[in-house]
Amino acid sequence: MINQSNPPFVREPFLKGYLSHEKNLSPLPKEVDVLIIGGGLLGASLSYYLAKEGVEVLLLERDEINREASGTNAGSFHFQIALHQLTPNMSDKEKSRLAAEVKLQVDAAKLWDNIEKELDADLGVFFDGGIMVAESQEEMRVLKDKEEIENSAGLESHILTGDEMRTFAPYLAPDLAGIAFCPREGHANPLLVTPTYAYRAMELGAQIRTGCAVLSVEANSSTGASHRFKVKTNRGEIYCHRIVNATGAWATDLSSQLGLNLPMGLSGLHVNVTEPREYFLKSMIQHIGRRLTLKQTHNNTFIIGGGWPSHPESYPKRYSNYWSSTTGNLAVALRVLPMLKDVKLLRTWTGVWAYTKDFKPILGESSKVPGYHVAMVPTGFTLGPMVSRMLAEYISADKPIHNIPQEFSVDREVLK
Amino acid sequence: MAAAASAARHGVQVALIDERTTFGGQIFKRLGPGFHLADPADLGNDYSRGAQLIEGIDHRLITLFNETLVLTIEGSTVITSHPRFGVRNFSFNNLIVAPGAYDRPVVFPGWTLPGVMTAGAVQTLVKTQQISPGRKILFAGSGPLALAFSAQLIKLGAPVYKVLESAPFPSPLSLARLALNVGGNLDLAADALRYQSILLKNRIPFLYRRIILKAEGDGRVESVTYGKVDRNWNLIPGSEVSESVDTLCIGYGFFPSHELLRLVDCSFSYDENKGGFTVDKDRWGQSSIEGIFAVGDGTGVTGSYSAVAQGSVAGLRIAHLQGKLSESDLERAARPFHRELAARNSFQKALNKVYSIKPGIYRLADKDTVICRCENIKKSEIDPIVESTDDLSVIKSYCRAGMGLCQGRNCQRQIAAMISEKHGKDLSEINFATPRFPVKPVEIGLIADPSIQEEKYFIT
Repeated sequence: MINQSNPPFVREPFLKGYLSHEKNLSPLPKEVDVLIIGGGLLGASLSYYLAKEGVEVLLLERDEINREASGTNAGSFHFQIALHQLTPNMSDKEKSRLAAEVKLQVDAAKLWDNIEKELDADLGVFFDGGIMVAESQEEMRVLKDKEEIENSAGLESHILTGDEMRTFAPYLAPDLAGIAFCPREGHANPLLVTPTYAYRAMELGAQIRTGCAVLSVEANSSTGASHRFKVKTNRGEIYCHRIVNATGAWATDLSSQLGLNLPMGLSGLHVNVTEPREYFLKSMIQHIGRRLTLKQTHNNTFIIGGGWPSHPESYPKRYSNYWSSTTGNLAVALRVLPMLKDVKLLRTWTGVWAYTKDFKPILGESSKVPGYHVAMVPTGFTLGPMVSRMLAEYISADKPIHNIPQEFSVDREVLK
Repeated sequence: MAAAASAARHGVQVALIDERTTFGGQIFKRLGPGFHLADPADLGNDYSRGAQLIEGIDHRLITLFNETLVLTIEGSTVITSHPRFGVRNFSFNNLIVAPGAYDRPVVFPGWTLPGVMTAGAVQTLVKTQQISPGRKILFAGSGPLALAFSAQLIKLGAPVYKVLESAPFPSPLSLARLALNVGGNLDLAADALRYQSILLKNRIPFLYRRIILKAEGDGRVESVTYGKVDRNWNLIPGSEVSESVDTLCIGYGFFPSHELLRLVDCSFSYDENKGGFTVDKDRWGQSSIEGIFAVGDGTGVTGSYSAVAQGSVAGLRIAHLQGKLSESDLERAARPFHRELAARNSFQKALNKVYSIKPGIYRLADKDTVICRCENIKKSEIDPIVESTDDLSVIKSYCRAGMGLCQGRNCQRQIAAMISEKHGKDLSEINFATPRFPVKPVEIGLIADPSIQEEKYFIT
């Protein structure tokens, strides 16, 4: 059995301060070059990358930084192919499409590799690999396809079964059909990543205002106008050249004001956290056929999630949890890691998950409304910083560049 | 117990759920197994009142479920777990939540040292196990509680040598106000006199206008420092006194345990003297959510006499809602309880003029004081974040204060007070972090349910 842990280890606070409350609440400037709406991971990291390029940027957040999906997800990296994309007996065409996506994930992994150095902060980043378990022979076949695609795209993964599996991961239920181990998988602390990006952005000159809600956006159609957009907020009006909608789950609200229809849907995600126990689980665990992510954090707690549903509410009410999501999710966790049975569940939480209907990011400038950009990613935690950097390159380029894949287009039509 | 008995007496089928192995709660708790009572009078009035209440729940319409921990409420179902029988769900037509209160945590340098105990903890030890936690006990607290608990402890043989009260000696005006409102509270007044005489008889000094400042010691408390305070309980510099003790007992009142009530999202008000956030309810004890009643100290601390009356009224109301009691019978049966509650209420108000919690209680920590004892987070780690935000949830997510085993029961109000001080916000405006289940930690193995299947992804 797992032993009770010593008191959680004491961390040195890595940032002396957080954001400045006075500055957050100070009046808005009259005008700005790039206005970013939404203080989640995308908004904060984009502010950082733009400020680093010397672009004048203002980030508006209606509540506080990192309060929604960016801070309520379970912090997993999803470099391996997401299970909702895998089917038994995939065609070669499907496999090569997935391989292209894996390449994007490999790039994201490189960014996460360096992020603590880049931001000079401890963000709870672990790169200790990920285990994907299979219970049945059918699941094993999917696991093998996944390994083949990933290896072809440059993402290392290995299949282990039988005694080999039991020796490699003795804590797993011994009767699992097999596992895939991806050494590049990992996780980070979602409570720290976004605030740190925001803090570093501010140091680089980005302006940040919290408690500032955008009420309406008007595009200026008259040619020769000094500014393309007039934005009304609860704290007054502001003019800007370019807008980035980084409002995540609420991206459709703002876009529809400009006549744009984003191919998005919303869902709630349930997460469980346990009391701390002695650290032993280095690798994150997922299940190829069922909804499970399971990891042990810096603070020695176990975070158990994987996409179980929660009850949606309208802003500003928080989503609420379903009891059945807890009991079901924990049962899958125990099936895979039986030694958790005596560990106590401490708390659950939930947040919104915004996804696109084709599971691809929405990224870039709209061709219908020039100057209006959207940054929205379904696996936002894993890919968020990387797509932000991509968009920052696009926005800060002196000459027009085409660095964003066409399939991420803001104006794409997605069949339901 | 009072609510269950009053509903059952009028024909309502009741399930009575309690987390503990025996009924009686904190006030009326019984002796531990193997202990005998030579003279019930030694345990005071509470013991015999408790015995009466416990007798009242011995009724054919009441089914008792002890060792049963409520984890959450979902719609009209209470979800519980039992250490041996696992999860059990109770569907209800009406629900009465009577969660009780816990000792107000007071944060000062050394408050987490072994040997520093809350009044409730000392009382439990002395009452149920007949063990005194130390040989030289200083009692620091305020309000009727400081008097009652210290006297009870002395009566039970715990060596309290001195009592500190933060409030000033009651003024003639406030004593007159108390006397005017004593009608219907003679029992309380008699209790108070009895406690006073115990202290006098034992020659225990009872010092007014003193507050605890710090506890020190190597591995456990060896000495404490207290000092004189002004009307707002702020220290008067130069008045500090240090004494050697082996136990410090802290009794500055209680906080309601309203986690379940926050989870169901009923509405709250704020009253520092009732322990902070209090549940809004009608004169029958119904919360803002129809069918969910809330009674006792867990909804706003008003004491055990009032709790019994509140429970009785709620039980009667439910009997009426279920068609067992006519409107007029309900009013008639409830009248004595409503009268009692009114009298208790005015006495309480008069008492609050004498003993009310002042802001100085939140100003005792220094930069090295651990604020969140579960996660070991010091004041100096929280201060810079309080500089940047007035949102308790943001502070929690950034430095982990409030994320540990007690889920903020011990530190959230202290941090709220830090926010209040820094940003000039009233404590009543600072909400706790989002309530989530389980209300108390529970083993995964007890609640995991393999029969629940999620919506599958694409694999068939």
